[in-house]
Amino acid sequence: MPLFHFDIHEDSRLTPDEDGQNFANVDVARKEAMLTGASIAREAFVAGSADHVVVDVREDEHAPCLKISITLEVEELSDG
Amino acid sequence: MCRQVASLTFVGTGRGDRGFLSDGATGALNCKQGSNSRDRSFSKVPSDAIRAALIKRLRISSAIADEDIKEIEALPISVRQYPAETAVVRDGERATDCCLIADGFCARSKTIASGKRQILSLHIPGEIPDLMSLFLHVMDHDLSTLTPATLGFISHETLQKLHRRSPTVAEMFWRDTLIDAAMFREWIVNVGQRPAPARLAHVMIELRERLRLIGRLDGNSFEMPLTQEQIGEALGITAVHANRVIRQLRQEGIVELNRGRVTVLDERKFQELADFDGRYLHQSPTL
Repeated sequence: MPLFHFDIHEDSRLTPDEDGQNFANVDVARKEAMLTGASIAREAFVAGSADHVVVDVREDEHAPCLKISITLEVEELSDG
Repeated sequence: MCRQVASLTFVGTGRGDRGFLSDGATGALNCKQGSNSRDRSFSKVPSDAIRAALIKRLRISSAIADEDIKEIEALPISVRQYPAETAVVRDGERATDCCLIADGFCARSKTIASGKRQILSLHIPGEIPDLMSLFLHVMDHDLSTLTPATLGFISHETLQKLHRRSPTVAEMFWRDTLIDAAMFREWIVNVGQRPAPARLAHVMIELRERLRLIGRLDGNSFEMPLTQEQIGEALGITAVHANRVIRQLRQEGIVELNRGRVTVLDERKFQELADFDGRYLHQSPTL
């Protein structure tokens, strides 16, 4: 099983994933990346610590093979 | 990692194949993982070492009387060594013994159809994590080891006899299972309501307060032998998110988790983050 790394960007702050995890294929790794991104974004958005979360998925030391990007957009409506 | 647990052989409880061992021993565990884990590894542990943490805990948390300590000291207990990450009793199995942890760490968990696992509780020496199986015979969750562990098995029959003989011991064990339920309530609150860093801090402080009772703290550090994946399973987040949270707590100078050991860097911040109120552990019989 290939080893996937999930590097997290919260705005400009990077949390590299040195350990990595084995997943059967890139589809399973994609699911894990989405769960991770959504869960980190939920916390970052609520805490107000970031409004843009990116998960870069890479196999070993290769360049990222997948990028998941989640952005918070809040629009205040003056007539609301 | 935990996935390989499924391939390990479960050795059923309650058969006559468990030796009762009581002579000469060390605390060292020599279990191996992999193919050897199918072998039953009996090892020799002095019988008072099996009960030491239990008695220590009951003295503090339940003010156990000397005559009841004698009852516990006289309990026949079969001792077995388990490797790390091995099922002790599985969801759906009928239990005929209760398992006393003499050494090592265990966890209770439940796995859903998709294969995702939720860790429900962590267990340390001196605890009997499947005490409820005395009345609820068919397991509704898994009990497995996290680390190599020395486990003592007490047959249900023995415990029932003890309860009839000594109602005060029965009440003490009843109290134990009620505290167990109180910890589950807190675990639900933790996973359901706290942000992930607070969740981790809370689980850490709970573990610390329980380890304190059995004298297993080392200054401002203590054991928490969980992998990132297991921490994720305890907190309801992925392993990568768990890694992110662990790093954050270290970077903020609150607490460091390194190779299964927690070191508190700033006690005040740690308490504040965890929002910890230890009442639910009911560690004093007078409260």
